[in-house]
Amino acid sequence: MAGKVLQDLTDQFQALSKDMSSIVEARQKLDSQLQENKSVQKEFASLADDTKIYKLIGPVLVKQDKSEAVMNVDKRLEFINSEIVRIEKQISDIQGKQERKKMEIIQVQTQLRQDAQAQVGA
Amino acid sequence: MSSKDKAPQQQTVDLSTLSVDNLAAVKKQLDDELEHLTTSFAKLRQAQNKFKECITTVKTGLRPERITDKTILVPLTSSLYVPGTLSDTENVLVDVGTGYYVEKSVADAEKFYAGKVKALTENLGELEKIVAQKSQNVQVVENSKSFTRVVIDGRMGEGVLT
Repeated sequence: MAGKVLQDLTDQFQALSKDMSSIVEARQKLDSQLQENKSVQKEFASLADDTKIYKLIGPVLVKQDKSEAVMNVDKRLEFINSEIVRIEKQISDIQGKQERKKMEIIQVQTQLRQDAQAQVGA
Repeated sequence: MSSKDKAPQQQTVDLSTLSVDNLAAVKKQLDDELEHLTTSFAKLRQAQNKFKECITTVKTGLRPERITDKTILVPLTSSLYVPGTLSDTENVLVDVGTGYYVEKSVADAEKFYAGKVKALTENLGELEKIVAQKSQNVQVVENSKSFTRVVIDGRMGEGVLT
């Protein structure tokens, strides 16, 4: 009976761990995007206003105004930052859940041990 | 670590209080981290080399006296080429990331790539320190692992003797 409960709990815990690793991966991806966009932003900031900027769309380079390109990158950075905040929240959520599950598992385990001891004693 | 001069077991802050299983888990985690860092290191190296290659290309491949008025073959596919000439050897398009290309003079392009290489060199230096630190940690764990084993073996030996 209690063994079944324990099994369920460990399954749930493992599911949480899996969620966690995929979210952490997403977080890392966002971070690298953030870095790349930041470096592009920095590069744009050092350019003269009349510099020719092209954007790669599929296999074609399309000319783009500097102001437009700058705006585009700024917007992307904004989006990425808000995504990071969102994902950070998810991460701490899952961490909390994991912590609670761990406590539950430990509880059930001690219960099991006590039961076993009681049986031996009887 | 002060474990050497003191009595064995449970003297060091952390590692010696851990069971063999826990130690193995710590070791595995450290190994994973170390591996991740080493691959990152290799990737950074690769990127750096790519930029260095760009510098050489910009420097040597576009020197006007060598290339203007000479025909070059432009690949349309991997097996189909058409002749062409370079109309502009003063300016190049540089990939600055996230799909943006910026037109730069040859000198500026060189500067841009040099900057990239420098930034990467700094990153590599930092990463190298971290890798060294991590491998030291791995070493420490490794030592205390074999240490624990020695203690256990020793106890077993005692049991046999008495």
